[in-house]
Amino acid sequence: MAIKEFHEKLKNRKTSAREAVSGYLEKIKKENSVLNAFLEVFEEEAMRGAEEVDSRIASGEEPGGLWGVPIAVKDNILIKGNIASASSKILGNYRAAYDASVITKLKKAGAIFIGRTNMDEFAMGSSTENSAYGPTKNPLDTKRVPGGSSGGSAAAVAAEMSMAALGSDTGGSIRQPAAFCGTVGLKPTYGAVSRSGLIAMASSLDQIGPITQTVEDAEILFNAIKGKDIYDATSTEKNTSRKPEDAKMKIGIPEEYFAEGLDGRIRDTIDNLIEKMKGRFSFREISLPHTKYAVSCYYIIMPAEVSSNMARFDGIRYGARKHGRDLAEIYKKSRGEGIGLEVRRRILLGTYVLSHGYYDAYYMRAQKVRTLIKKDFDEAFKEVDLIISPTTPTLPFNIGEKSSDPLSMYLSDIYTISANLAGVPAISVPGGNIEDGGKDFAVGVQLVAPRFMENLLFEAGKAVEEER
Amino acid sequence: MISKEDIEHLKNLARVEFGEKETEALARDLSGILDFINKLSEADISEASETTHAAEIMNVMRKDDDEDFFEMEGRESIVSDFPEKETSKLLHEGTESVWLKVKAPIQKE
Repeated sequence: MAIKEFHEKLKNRKTSAREAVSGYLEKIKKENSVLNAFLEVFEEEAMRGAEEVDSRIASGEEPGGLWGVPIAVKDNILIKGNIASASSKILGNYRAAYDASVITKLKKAGAIFIGRTNMDEFAMGSSTENSAYGPTKNPLDTKRVPGGSSGGSAAAVAAEMSMAALGSDTGGSIRQPAAFCGTVGLKPTYGAVSRSGLIAMASSLDQIGPITQTVEDAEILFNAIKGKDIYDATSTEKNTSRKPEDAKMKIGIPEEYFAEGLDGRIRDTIDNLIEKMKGRFSFREISLPHTKYAVSCYYIIMPAEVSSNMARFDGIRYGARKHGRDLAEIYKKSRGEGIGLEVRRRILLGTYVLSHGYYDAYYMRAQKVRTLIKKDFDEAFKEVDLIISPTTPTLPFNIGEKSSDPLSMYLSDIYTISANLAGVPAISVPGGNIEDGGKDFAVGVQLVAPRFMENLLFEAGKAVEEER
Repeated sequence: MISKEDIEHLKNLARVEFGEKETEALARDLSGILDFINKLSEADISEASETTHAAEIMNVMRKDDDEDFFEMEGRESIVSDFPEKETSKLLHEGTESVWLKVKAPIQKE
């Protein structure tokens, strides 16, 4: 059941929050032992929250739009008093001292947190295999990965173990798993949603966003969590409005996103969809010429920021501490044993690109290329209102297929990374189906809009849902 | 190509440990990744300035208020997350004091 439908039923007393929450808890009990989407289920808290919602309705209060809505929360978003481990051993016992700002907002709106979801450790990965607590499996085919890093959240929504979920997206970590699991995933404009209480990965790229069953649900959740927040100086308030009231929206098709490396079946599905959407939108070919540099640029800037952000996990103030002769050895041992290989690899890569003698060749150059990538979007949005592309170059890959080859794993984010570098919002919406190996998969269609124009994504995203 | 000495130096700079097998794989993987990101050397950056942030750059100030840590919300939770601590009654009569333990930053030779 989608959020709006549930809200109507709740309002008309056709269902109760308890009924909804206990339904999802049942589903989790049945499915989670196989899928491993949840690291922890907040059964008692969720039931208590549901009872409170029901008793307020019984006493005559008019329910708000998110009252009683069960939401699964990625394990890198803090909920006061609960463990937030970011799927890492080093934070296995870490309990949050405060609520993330998005959690504060959703609590006030009456939503219910049903559990914390599995992820790639510290959000570094594209398959949710890279978790200290075992891989999550794709509900559409349990031999395959759900994508990552928000794979637990996407699998939870896809398997109807939660009505909706929160994820975080640094280079595609909401959109890619949403595409692999057949759900909707939104990465908001950089600065649209507060990052306070999100365990930081790469601070100039990270954004929290919703993973949902429908575009309308993503819109409802986005409106509930967005806005300026005193705890995040990069958060801003911008009112968006669609520019041309009457004219057909113009959607650009970037040639670089339909080039070599794209599964032909995905290309055909999107071509087909574009044909069907032509009555309502006008399409034109565009070029984003610096696309070919996006992954390289990202794998300099992101690890550089990772290496600084991860310095705080040293076993001193919180997290698992190992013993050593001196302070330096305590750091090295705590980090060596508490932090997984991929995260340590990125810390080292980041340290390298920032170190003396390499800074100009790598980091500064990447910052300049980032400007070129950003300009590509600025230029394109002078001609079109939106950009359409695939979310991923392939269907979900098998568990184990890419886990020993970091570079091929990195390339699975080839279509999603640019939006983070440019700070623009992007949504992945299921845009058709492909049968593969006897299983049915959704094709993720990515729509990208100018900064703070999420409303255009919702408008066109709903059209994708209707026409697919 | 990244040398073994480079990797040892980086491990020390970054304060992380890798096992022996991990280090071998690391040298191979890092070289592959660096070859890939070297693609950027083809890009013409002569006209481009550096982007340091995706958001517009502006200065944001908070109010310069003092906060009393002992009254702060979540203080107990922060203390309980601390890995090594000791409780003693020595200093404040009747009240318990919690001592947060860390290794001395400078060791006696």
